[in-house]
Amino acid sequence: MIFLTVGTQFPFDRLVKAVDVAAGAGRICDEIYAQIGNSAYRPRNFEYIKFLEKRLFDDCVEKASRIISHAGIGTIAMAMDSNKPLLVMPRLKKYGEVVNDHQVAIAQRFEEMGYVFAVYDTDQFQQKIGEFLSFVSRPRGNNAEAVIDRITRFLNYVEISI
Amino acid sequence: MQRRMKICLAASGGGHLSQMLKLSDSWQRYETFYITTAEMVREQLQRFGRVYVVGECNRRSLWRTVRVLLRCLKIIFLERPDVVISTGAAAGCISCFLGKLIGAKVIWVDSITNIERLSVSGRMVKFIADLFFVQWPELTAKYRGVQFAGTVV
Repeated sequence: MIFLTVGTQFPFDRLVKAVDVAAGAGRICDEIYAQIGNSAYRPRNFEYIKFLEKRLFDDCVEKASRIISHAGIGTIAMAMDSNKPLLVMPRLKKYGEVVNDHQVAIAQRFEEMGYVFAVYDTDQFQQKIGEFLSFVSRPRGNNAEAVIDRITRFLNYVEISI
Repeated sequence: MQRRMKICLAASGGGHLSQMLKLSDSWQRYETFYITTAEMVREQLQRFGRVYVVGECNRRSLWRTVRVLLRCLKIIFLERPDVVISTGAAAGCISCFLGKLIGAKVIWVDSITNIERLSVSGRMVKFIADLFFVQWPELTAKYRGVQFAGTVV
């Protein structure tokens, strides 16, 4: 199952529609389930719900083989924690989907690190959706190691000085 | 006899807390206690020591901020930590300042969600922090006294 989630604060019709179009055109054959939040677009090719409570949301993440979402840091962190391949499309200010374009920066950074598969508009979504279906996210090492190392050294230093 | 070092771990529930837990290898051999904001995470944290839940607050709600401030004040003055480590947000910021008042060292890790500028809390704590991490290298060019060592996700 592919789980589509677009956050619940603002609508994100472009992404919901893009997924629906891709499903209708047979570019996605897997079953899809979506949390569409306040989006006005109503998908024809898969089941959806407006809001999922936290527990059911977690169930969907657990059951999903892949996740498609906006480039919200919460969703990205969650997909990384659950090791699910994630496609993100950033919300854009010019469409009134968000108050600023910070999601573009987020998508680019996490894409560079190999943790997400990013597309930046709906045309690109249709072109690259097939590629995403075989995308494997980069395994996560412990990124925190360098920070841990510096904190550990600092704490050692504090410990001997008290 | 040498006293065991005590560390206050201050992090709001959610993403701030998950980033703090990713750093556990650095602080888990010390005596620690937690200051967090949501009752929901109490059980999860109890293995790290005492857990104080002070409630949510932000700069838009003065009354809540005062309430959290007073609770943190009591905790910090009773516990007297040697070090405060925080990943944010507001309650973490308050804990850092109170810790500094009693002479504790302050370590701040600004959340990974702050890509182009520091969090509001981070911008304040920067003035008193002994160690200040950002998670995007570009931020080190923009702010003095902050360092980048990697991401914590």
